[in-house]
Amino acid sequence: MSRSPAELLLERETRACYGPVPIQLFDEPLGPMSWQMRDETFLLRAEGDHYFYYRRGNGLTIHRGTDADASEESLWLNGSVYAAIASMNGLLPIHASAVACDGAVFAFAGPASAGKSTLAAALGRHGLAMFCDDTLVLDLSDPQQLICLPGHKRLKLCPDAFALTGAAVEEKVSQTYGKYYAAPAAGTVGMAMPLAMLIFLADGPEMAIAPISGAERFLRLTDDHQTARLFEAARKLDRAEEFARRASLARKIAMARFVRPMDRGRFDEGVAMAANYIRSLAGLNA
Amino acid sequence: MSAVTKRTDRFTETTIDEEIVVMHLGTGRFFSLTGTAALLWRLIDGTHDRSTLANEVTAIFDGRESDIASDVDDFLEQLEEAGLIAID
Repeated sequence: MSRSPAELLLERETRACYGPVPIQLFDEPLGPMSWQMRDETFLLRAEGDHYFYYRRGNGLTIHRGTDADASEESLWLNGSVYAAIASMNGLLPIHASAVACDGAVFAFAGPASAGKSTLAAALGRHGLAMFCDDTLVLDLSDPQQLICLPGHKRLKLCPDAFALTGAAVEEKVSQTYGKYYAAPAAGTVGMAMPLAMLIFLADGPEMAIAPISGAERFLRLTDDHQTARLFEAARKLDRAEEFARRASLARKIAMARFVRPMDRGRFDEGVAMAANYIRSLAGLNA
Repeated sequence: MSAVTKRTDRFTETTIDEEIVVMHLGTGRFFSLTGTAALLWRLIDGTHDRSTLANEVTAIFDGRESDIASDVDDFLEQLEEAGLIAID
């Protein structure tokens, strides 16, 4: 299976080794659970004496002090560190979980706890393979289409989501994190694919999926998640440039709104509705 | 004639599915313009005053001329207050 230049770039840039790192990139010290980005460098400090330092073209260096929680390391690596490296190399990470259908990606966006991962995993019961969990990285280099890079994170679910999704329970994510790694029922896709649709999850009494059109497509691209802040820091766009970037994206991305009640008793109904909707669109796209 | 002109140095705009999004470059504030508002925005090209803008809208949309003129005035005031247009 051939891999895209963007996949190879990310693989190269995220290679990691252990060694000494700077403890700040600016005059002000870097506090725990925060990061700094300067020119071609990025420094993230986890809790305690635990640092991740990236320099573009040189890869990643990790310093793990004796008081650092090693079990948290992969979470940092696959979370903010990965998103920063992607952003600094011209890729766009967005806060979304996604499935693949007929060679295209259908991604679910929404705030934390909106049910993105659970819905994407549960679609495995309808034969839709997982594409990514929590972060979707987009390759913007093709002016005709947005290409999604295969997910780099393992699926993580809360204990009560396993019965809903049919996913298999694997090990606990970390000592302090309450979620477990999971193997989705229909497996995981590992190749780059075009983005077919971004579906925004919302809570409401009447279950429905409807396309989003007009200015709302632009306004929906507002994101206050950490991934968006990392992208902004990496790209340093002024207001007009950021506006043009969002407008271009809004025109390229088909969007829909999926409203459903946050009611476990109606969860399967919602999953079936989403599966039917995706299959109907995938049929049109094919 | 008091021509209505856009203050093009103060905003940027885009059209998506016939709807217009305008952003004030100084404040970062967004304005979403649909329907009659989008039509009016497109008509503001420096050659129309309030009354000719209202006439253009009246020619397209049903409604009492005085009501439409009042709505157009309100909309233009909002745009002027937002710093997006100037009325000479």
